[in-house]
Amino acid sequence: MKIYTYAIIDSNSKISDTINGLEGIGVYNIPYRDMGIVVSSHSEQIQNITKDHILKYEEIVERLMEDFTVLPMRFLTLFNREEDVLLMMQEHYNGFKGNLDRLRNKVEFGIKVIWQGETIKNRIIESSKKCYANLVIPDNSPGKSFVKEKFEKYKIDKEFEEEADRCITIIDYFFSRFIAEKKLEKLKSDNLLLSASYLIEKEKQKDFIEVFEKIRAAPGDLKFLLSGPWPPYNFIVFTKNANMFNRKPVSQDRAGENAI
Amino acid sequence: MDSVITESKEVTLLEILDRILDKGVVISGDLVISLAEIDLIYVGLKVLISSVETMERLRGAPFAGATEEPT
Amino acid sequence: MTINRIVETDSPQDFIEEIEKIQGALPKRIDANPKNVEKGLAKLVLTLIELIRKLLEKQAMRRIDAGSLSEEEIEGVGETLMKLENKMQELKGIFGLKDEELNLNLGPLGDLM
Repeated sequence: MKIYTYAIIDSNSKISDTINGLEGIGVYNIPYRDMGIVVSSHSEQIQNITKDHILKYEEIVERLMEDFTVLPMRFLTLFNREEDVLLMMQEHYNGFKGNLDRLRNKVEFGIKVIWQGETIKNRIIESSKKCYANLVIPDNSPGKSFVKEKFEKYKIDKEFEEEADRCITIIDYFFSRFIAEKKLEKLKSDNLLLSASYLIEKEKQKDFIEVFEKIRAAPGDLKFLLSGPWPPYNFIVFTKNANMFNRKPVSQDRAGENAI
Repeated sequence: MDSVITESKEVTLLEILDRILDKGVVISGDLVISLAEIDLIYVGLKVLISSVETMERLRGAPFAGATEEPT
Repeated sequence: MTINRIVETDSPQDFIEEIEKIQGALPKRIDANPKNVEKGLAKLVLTLIELIRKLLEKQAMRRIDAGSLSEEEIEGVGETLMKLENKMQELKGIFGLKDEELNLNLGPLGDLM
């Protein structure tokens, strides 16, 4: 038997509607104290995971989000027995409780911004060529040549990042008006200036989307992507006391033997 | 118009993948290296319970081929 | 079943390109296959060494930027960094590891490099 998990919810009641999860198998709520974890029970591990599984999984989590506060599980977290699920709930109860309370009535929106990173970097490289005629690292030896090259690259990267920071600060300022929390990832690639997640109250969704529409319409060569509302994937927080970094979970199934 | 729909479906899938594969509640066999009881290095030994090759294929080409029947 | 989720952008193709670039790296796993255990450990060790090497390099750059190294010191640092880099290339070659493979995911701390 394999138990596939979907999300922790702030309810210990049965799920009233029939909801079919992965492989069309009905999901149910395993209660634990004042919360529960929604799972589906399978006779064996799903062999070939496809994009349909991914979409179905997300569909279930979002469906739950309509009625409950949810902490989505990372996709394909599974257990061998219900007892193991309960042990896991026991271990992490405090962490889950804290997160559920914090995330109640809130949703996540994603903003991604593309800028002309390559163009900007080239501009910086060009102007640095003019400056470095005067650079005080003579390259009359292999060691110094090595350093000079590294240093030039370092200066270019540094200026590039500073430019990015300036740009991000402005963008973030506009989006931060209605938010409870945020998580910013800068320059995941040269052109992907920003990948941000914003946690906002459900009632403020429309305001947030309006801000996006305005910014997107503003002149400039930035490209914007908005997605949401999502379950709060990026805002699950564990502290040491909540035992996230614990010894191995009791029965998380592995492809082979114990991994390490 | 077909390509517009395909493209935005693709973006949607990428956005979903961005979240469900690495984020959310992560219960896994992890390793924390600490010094004098201060956790310094967190080594995420995430063990994905699925065919990694399948996930590779899904990430590289979200719309490659038709839906597969489960075996 | 309706999901009120929106995904809005004027440039889907650009975003597809960029996101696919960064999603290239999969979550890492340690393979229990004995043939691969050695390689897995080598990966772990080399990643940590590479981290230290990069930190040393960055710190040296900062010192040069601040102007706190003499010409001789720069020469010394340069030679050492060069040797370290060459040694790392050698080790990577011996274990058949590429640059992209030497990157641990630190969970909440993001990727190592």
